[in-house]
Formats: sequence, structure tokens, C-alpha cells
Amino acid sequence: MTHGRFSPSLRRRLLFLLIGNVVLLLAIAVTMKQGGSFADVLTRCGPDVAPVVLAGIGMTGIICTGAIDLSIASIIVVAGTVFGILARRQMPPLLCFAACVGTALLLSITNGLLIRALRLPAIIITLAGLALYRGVALVLADVAIPGFGGSIDLPRDEYHSPGKQFATPLLLLALGGALIWEWFAVTPRRWLALGSSEEACRLAGLNPHAIRRSAFAVGGLFLGLAALLYVTQIQFIEPARLALGFELQVIGAVILGGTNIFGGEGGYGGTALGALFLYFTGQWMTYAGISPYFQEAITGAIIIGVIGLDCGLHRRRKRMEELA
Amino acid sequence: MRFWLLPLILLGEIALFTALSGQSFSPASGATSYFRSYFADLLCQSAPVLLLAFGMTVILMTAGIDLSAGSMVALVACAMASFPAGPGFWWTAVPAGLALALLLGATNGALIAWLDVPPIIATLGTMILYRGLCFVVMGDLEKSPFLNVPAYEWLGQPGGAALLLALTFALGGCWLKRSRWLREILMLGGNPVAARYAGIPASRRIVQVYTLAGGLAFLAALAFTARNSSVSASSLTGLELQVIVAVVLGGTRVQGGAGSLLGSFYGVLIIAVMDEGLRGAAQWGARNLPFKLSHLEYILLGLLLVVGVWLNTRGRKPADNRPPG
Repeated sequence: MTHGRFSPSLRRRLLFLLIGNVVLLLAIAVTMKQGGSFADVLTRCGPDVAPVVLAGIGMTGIICTGAIDLSIASIIVVAGTVFGILARRQMPPLLCFAACVGTALLLSITNGLLIRALRLPAIIITLAGLALYRGVALVLADVAIPGFGGSIDLPRDEYHSPGKQFATPLLLLALGGALIWEWFAVTPRRWLALGSSEEACRLAGLNPHAIRRSAFAVGGLFLGLAALLYVTQIQFIEPARLALGFELQVIGAVILGGTNIFGGEGGYGGTALGALFLYFTGQWMTYAGISPYFQEAITGAIIIGVIGLDCGLHRRRKRMEELA
Repeated sequence: MRFWLLPLILLGEIALFTALSGQSFSPASGATSYFRSYFADLLCQSAPVLLLAFGMTVILMTAGIDLSAGSMVALVACAMASFPAGPGFWWTAVPAGLALALLLGATNGALIAWLDVPPIIATLGTMILYRGLCFVVMGDLEKSPFLNVPAYEWLGQPGGAALLLALTFALGGCWLKRSRWLREILMLGGNPVAARYAGIPASRRIVQVYTLAGGLAFLAALAFTARNSSVSASSLTGLELQVIVAVVLGGTRVQGGAGSLLGSFYGVLIIAVMDEGLRGAAQWGARNLPFKLSHLEYILLGLLLVVGVWLNTRGRKPADNRPPG
């Protein structure tokens, strides 16, 4: 069975998200009260959604190989803490930004290497990383900042420029580059191959471990960008509380975007649309005056609804394939 | 699974932290009473996690996972807290809580078994949904009707906690160990297609497993509210990860098909002892370390998880510990 670059289910999901986003934007425009400006919604959208989209792009590659990274929030915390420590010591801003991205890249590569070295499932290694990296960030802050009281504040404006001024251009640049690269390069196809069947990959002369490592390395690069935009948007970096639950938000966007959680299917475009869909849903609920207490429940119901419906519709075909 | 490993880690931890806490047993009789209250506290403190770990172990055996465990306990506790206090609480709130918990668990099961949603996605969704419902039920309030319910507090004391744990782990565990039901669950986790060919009602079993986890979430909610006596919509955030770490540390495989209830029991206690011990050794840490000792907990937890699982899988045949992704 051939179906081009995207499988029918992925194509259907992309179409749904595309239409859904347009409908949500229209709904926001309609429900907007007097004095609210629609252009404002669009300009705010870039910085707000950038960390989730960028981290989601990194996660998409990792999930495509059949692995998962639960430690991304903690990696962002370590990167943010390193950034905060350097910024507090008045290092030049560019060095701080590079250190932030570099830390995330390094930790993500470490995850990939550990999976191979210890021969444990990715979910276990990164579950351990989820706890471990946050602890490392706290200890780092304790040791490097005298009188550390739980939060690092960044007083000067030049340390905030990526998140506050250049978030949208950076996001568009990274997203555009990622989409073009995904379309033309070989590596993302190899990730999908690995996710479909590690055994077939090996028999075809590809090295599964190298492919998985490359997914974690590319993922780390995008995660570093996400971390940079995340921590330069906020005034205080609190290692104990920063980005709590961010990994689930990102995984939610990735799977809503049509990437198969078991690997072998998915793409960057879907992830970006999925993240936008969740963001616009939240915005629309705010504009429509829905009580904030209901918003989380509705978000959860939407995730379950979209994916449950999709899975339910394919159930029969999947069963037949399984038993064939 | 190496049976001696986990108790050994546990004993080592207790010895280490007792030494660090600066406790002195000058009359030897002090040791008995110290350890008696120590273990009683430990049991009450970790009763909710232990109860959840029981359900999580069975779920992991089916190659599933339940990310919604923490939200589920919180929602059941919030719902029970909305009932008026008084003796009538036992006949209204408690059965309602049980029914709700079973319903929430069955919802997870139905999504996974009947709609074929992968467990991690289904329970990720319900985790957000149930937590959202907590806010719908409670808003920003913190309620504590549990204080005015006769005999409720007893559930949070050593006697009550021991009863709940004995009911699940001793009775339930012994029955499960010999049951056909558990064998079918393990087979389902090991090879779902083979299980279906063998005539095991796969969907029904999955729904049963998640409903059982719901029931245990109800017991956990009882134990939690009896000990903490108040609950808010954001209570118990992140509990699911704690439970999963403990269960995995106990030697249950996330790929399904194998697991140990006793191992999970040890896993929870190892983490609880570490948590408590680091708090007790805070003074020692302040004197000797350049960072807060409590911050070390995350690092130790991560290391413990990796090392524990690694030691447990090391002896297996190569085919078993190949990283599946």
C-alpha cells in the first residue's frame, strides 16, 4: 500500500487541524469584545506559542524514532539556571544565550547516549532525567549563587531580547528551516524508518543507535532554542517550579498533531498546528468568557475527543492488520 | 528480579539516614520505640502511594500506564469534600466517592480498550480532564469536612493505614498471585495478539484493570484525606510520576508482561525513606554541604531509578533488555 509522504490518517489530521485553527481564529474574532484588537492576538501568539512549538519539533523527531523524552522540562530548567547564573555574573548576553542552548543540547545528547549505554528504554532514562536534572539545576544554583533564595532574577533588558523582541522571527525561522529540512533531508526519513521497525532498519544496513542519537541531537538543538525563548520571556527563574508539566503540554501538542506515539509516523507541520490549536482553544475560551476553572477540563476533553475519535474510527482496520 | 536487592537498599537507607539524623540510642530500649514510631509514620505517610502503586503495577503488567492516577485521587477527594460533614458522610460521600472512582477508572479503560487509544495518550488526556474537573468542583477553595466525620481520622492513623494496606497487599496480593486473572493480564501484556488468539477477552480485561486502579484511587483518597484532613483542587499534583518511579524501581517492566507487587511495595518505601531521611538529616547537611540537602532528593531519585532498573535488567538474556525505543 503506498500513500505518498503522509498516510491517510495523518493527512486527515492535518486537514482537521488546519480547518480547526481557522475556525478558532474566526471564533476569536467574533467573540472579541469592543476594544480588543485582532492584530494583538496574532502578535502575541508568536512569543506565547514559540516554546511549545520548538520543543514540540524536537520531541516529534524523538517520538518518530519510537523513543520519548520526558525530561525536557527539567532540561529547560538546567539550561535556564545556567543562563541565569551567567547573567547574574554580568557575562555578555550572547555568551549566556549560547550557554543556554548548549546546555540543553548537551543534556539531550546525554539522554541519547545513556539509552544506548545502559540498554534501558527511553521512557525510563528520561523519567529518571526528569527528577535528576531538576535536582542538578537546584544544586548548581545553590553552589554558584551566594544566598540563593529559590529564584534568580534577571534585571537587565538585554538579557530578555530573544524572548521579548525576537521570539516571532526566531520561531518562524526555526520552523521554516525545520520544515524545509524535513522535506528534503534523509535523516528524518531514517527516524521514521527506525520508528516503524528497528529490526528492518538494522537488516537494511542502517545503524539504529546512530539514528536514535541523531534524533536526540536534533531534538536537543530545538529544545535549546525553546529553552532560550522560554527563560528570556520571564522575569524570575525559579528552578524548583519552572516549566512544571511542560513535557506533557508538548507531548499533547505532538500527538494532537498526528505523530504516532509508538513512532514511525508524524511530522513537524502537524506538531506546529497541534500546538497552535491548543493555544487558540485556550485564547478563544478566555475571550468567550468561559470560567478559567472550566478551561483545563475542556482542554483535556478536546485532546481525548480528537484522538479518541480518530483511534476509534481506525480500530477495525488496525485489528485486521494485527491479525493478518 | 533480584529479591535481595530492594530490601537491602531499604535497610541501607534506613541505617544511613538514622546515623545522619543524629539520633542516639543511649539506653538501647529507646531504639525499639524510635523504630516503632518511625515505621508507623512511614506507613501512614506512604499509604496513598502504596495503594496507587498496587494498581499501577497491574496496569504496567498489561503494557499500559496511568498518568491520571494523581488527578483521579484529587478529583475523588474533591468530590467527597463537597459533601456536608457529620455522621451521614459515611453513607453519602464515601459511596459516592467509590462510585466516582470506579467510573473514572472505567473511563480510562474504555478509552484504551474500546476506542483503542494508546494508554499513555488516553491517560494523559484524562489526567488533564480530571484535574480540570477538580477546579470545576472546588474552584480556589480548600475544604476540610473530614475533621468532623466520626472515626474518619482513624483511617489516617497506623491502625487504619495498616488495615487498608493489609486488605490490598496481603489479601488482594495473595489472591492475585494464584489467580487465573493475573495470568491472563500478564499474557495480555506480554503478547496481546497471542492473548487474543488464546481466547482471552482482552478488552474486558483491560477495562477491569483500569477500573481496579480506580477503586484503589478511591482507597488512596480515603487514606490521603484522613491524614491531611483538607484538600484543594491542586492537591497531589505530580503524584503519578512518583508512583510510576516507585513501581519501575520495584522491577516491573514498562513494556508489560512482567511485574512484582512486592517489588512495588519496596519501591515506594525506598523513596519514602529517602524523602523522610533527607528531611531528618537537614541539620547535618547545613553543616557539611554547600547546598540544601533537600535539593539532593531529585538527583538521588533519578540515580536510584536508573541504577535500580539497570541492576534488575542486567542478568536477563540480551533479547530482553534491548532498548525498544
